[in-house]
Amino acid sequence: MKWIPLVMCFVLVSGGICEAKVDLVSLPSRDSVQLTIYNSADLTLAKESRSLTLKEGFNDLQFSWANTLIDPTSLELVPLTNADRIDVQALTYPPRVKNLGLWNIDSGLSGQIPVEISYLTSGLSWRAFYLGTLTPDEKEMRLKGYVRVLNNSGEDYENAQVRLIVGKVHIIDQIAQLAQRQYPYERPGIYPAAQPEVHSKRSRQDVRVMKSVMMGEGIAFGSVAPMETKEIIKEGLSEYFLYTIEGRETILNGWSKRLPSFDVASVPVVNLYKYEEERYGYQVIRFLSFKNDEDHLLGETPIPGGLLKVFRNVDAENHLSYEGQSEFKYIPIDEDVELNLGAVQNIVVEPKLMNLKTENFMFDRHGNINGWDEVRTYKMEVKNTRQVPVEVEIKRNFNALKWDIHNEGAEVKYEKIDANTVKYKLALQSKENKTFQYTLRTFHGRRGDHK
Amino acid sequence: MKKNMYLKSVIMLSMFCFLSLSVAEARIKLVALPKRADTIIRLDNPQFTLIEEERVLTLQQGLNKVDFSWNGVSIDPDSIRIDILSHSDQVTLLNVSYPPNENALVWEISSAGAREEKIRVSYLLSNIDRLITYKSVADKAETQVNFKSHLILRNFSGEDFANAKVLLDYGESFEEGIRHEETKQLLFLKAGTVPIEKVWQWDSKKQIWDPEEVDQNVGIPVHYRITNTTDSNLGQNALWNGKMRVFQLDGHGSTILLGEDAVDLTPVGEDMEVYIGDSRDLVVTQRKMVDKQTNIRRNTSGRVVLYDNEEQVTAKIENFKDTNAKLKMVQHIPGEWDMHSCNFEYKKENANTIEFEIDVPAQGKAELVMHYFRRNIRN
Repeated sequence: MKWIPLVMCFVLVSGGICEAKVDLVSLPSRDSVQLTIYNSADLTLAKESRSLTLKEGFNDLQFSWANTLIDPTSLELVPLTNADRIDVQALTYPPRVKNLGLWNIDSGLSGQIPVEISYLTSGLSWRAFYLGTLTPDEKEMRLKGYVRVLNNSGEDYENAQVRLIVGKVHIIDQIAQLAQRQYPYERPGIYPAAQPEVHSKRSRQDVRVMKSVMMGEGIAFGSVAPMETKEIIKEGLSEYFLYTIEGRETILNGWSKRLPSFDVASVPVVNLYKYEEERYGYQVIRFLSFKNDEDHLLGETPIPGGLLKVFRNVDAENHLSYEGQSEFKYIPIDEDVELNLGAVQNIVVEPKLMNLKTENFMFDRHGNINGWDEVRTYKMEVKNTRQVPVEVEIKRNFNALKWDIHNEGAEVKYEKIDANTVKYKLALQSKENKTFQYTLRTFHGRRGDHK
Repeated sequence: MKKNMYLKSVIMLSMFCFLSLSVAEARIKLVALPKRADTIIRLDNPQFTLIEEERVLTLQQGLNKVDFSWNGVSIDPDSIRIDILSHSDQVTLLNVSYPPNENALVWEISSAGAREEKIRVSYLLSNIDRLITYKSVADKAETQVNFKSHLILRNFSGEDFANAKVLLDYGESFEEGIRHEETKQLLFLKAGTVPIEKVWQWDSKKQIWDPEEVDQNVGIPVHYRITNTTDSNLGQNALWNGKMRVFQLDGHGSTILLGEDAVDLTPVGEDMEVYIGDSRDLVVTQRKMVDKQTNIRRNTSGRVVLYDNEEQVTAKIENFKDTNAKLKMVQHIPGEWDMHSCNFEYKKENANTIEFEIDVPAQGKAELVMHYFRRNIRN
């Protein structure tokens, strides 16, 4: 079943609106269609080219879009040739008819005219996801990127050029809501209210979506060329990246399609473990760190945010173990990436308060305490129980704004992050333990006055 | 009979000769229904739409009663005016009366002789208005846009207008018919090429300081700045508020949508700022490196009553793009304050807001360091 935006061309006998729906001249089919699909918003820019047969003089062209999710305020018709002789005078949304528009065209010539009809629609979406496979020593990762395009628009798109936009677009109205309005621009004095989301057709589509998931993805849904030959061409435009999928795709309503985006054989990665009580509690979090640059065999384009599932090759037969997954955000070119794979127990960070003392008391004229220092000595024990070398980052936050810190015994150094945070960074070999100690002095009351 | 007439036209002007009948009787005696001639729909006031319609009355010598009534439409009765156009010296409006429980009024018009008289009736009609929308298509380099604006005429007044002159406060008028419940989109401004400035803006009150602390990307809002001047091929009139959609040529004969925004009314000479989307290739990490009380004053009990606060804020700006970027950075410092040192020039927007314009080279970095004292903070 197809729900196609219909274009009908009418020649008007006397140019009056009331007489518009007479003398059907032609019903041109879609010659080609281009879809530019966004993922930061439910938004797709569709462009169709069609050939219209125009008569010299006034022509009314009817466009209807029942059962689709097209935003009627976005409709535009542009003649691709003879633009100076074809004047699109108005777009009328006639009374008491839903999902129908009439273009009033004054043509200086007659004959076949190629036109482009563009509009915004909702219901098409895409997302990126990734599969990573670590080498047994966890120094490198094979990274495969995919995109999955989903058509839930109510419209079958056959042999469409599919383009994807990576970026955060600013929109003020949801296209799905614009598509469901009774009147394209509402009535005067009525402010757009949230429309009920479900109508009967949507629920039917949802069933179809679920079915496509169950049937699995990666099936060639009647596409012309085999999937593995497709490449995705990536280019920057303004603040966005445009991914153009080679060739043409057919995505029927309710179906989704997985397409490979990139495949890098060996990205050098660092096993990074973090400990920060205020952020993660009393546990160590595992990160996989690399950089989106040439040194890491990446860096050609930003990497769109998505879910990465990480596996590891465990033996010579390439058996896999599942290491964890991480939802990551958009990664610009040259940006460092830290993928949070969750809490682990095989790396241990144990801060121990070894000593606490107070000193340098100050008293006011009534003999009450109004200033003192608190001195705490912490012993930090860091243990790598794994077979592979790791890096550990420990952040310590202090409640007081006035403090002094001294390290003892170890080669570790701290880096000041902000007014009350420092960071220690340690590299541990396989099965290595390290211990260091620091003494923190905080100044309270009048003791802080001149620090 | 009158009911039948209402079905045809909801706004009616009827006329009858004044013989010796009372108003109530006379209004049943419909003599002539003068046809509506030229009609103007004036949309220069965004809140109220003024309709002006011209009609020709056939007046008898002496006193004439003209009945103006409406049904199913909302007219402000106090706004109804009548202007005598052809013989204003010989035709006089004597009084206006309103019949009970009806949407109607009766003009008593005195005429020196029997003649055809052109009049203009004007009134404020509800539920007919206009919206303005804009469409801009930027070039690939983002230095200019092709700028046009549409008028959206919405008629839900209850009245059909077969043919009317539609006027805005500027631009050419349209000759359009518009029926009840009809919406029409008409192109009314085609400015051609308009230069733009692309600005990235980071505001310390609106944006997250440390993007590492959050799981989502912290986008830096990107604006296109369009100046409403003749140099920009605009500048003839104020640009009304409305919805703007911005597209960009993609270099392959097609376009992409960059974003949309609701733009404010922009008077001549001023800038229109269009928020199109967020950049994720520009990253700002702002941190407070020093935050401490100094110059502490205490009362006799030792309680702190007055102090200054020394603060040092650093903002690291990383540009991952392969083009230079101009970042407008807005910083807020509450209370009274003195800047001790700052490595960039700033403009004081008001007592507590300062603005920087920082150029960040392609794939480069910049760092703003502000060292200031907030003075005389009471405890």
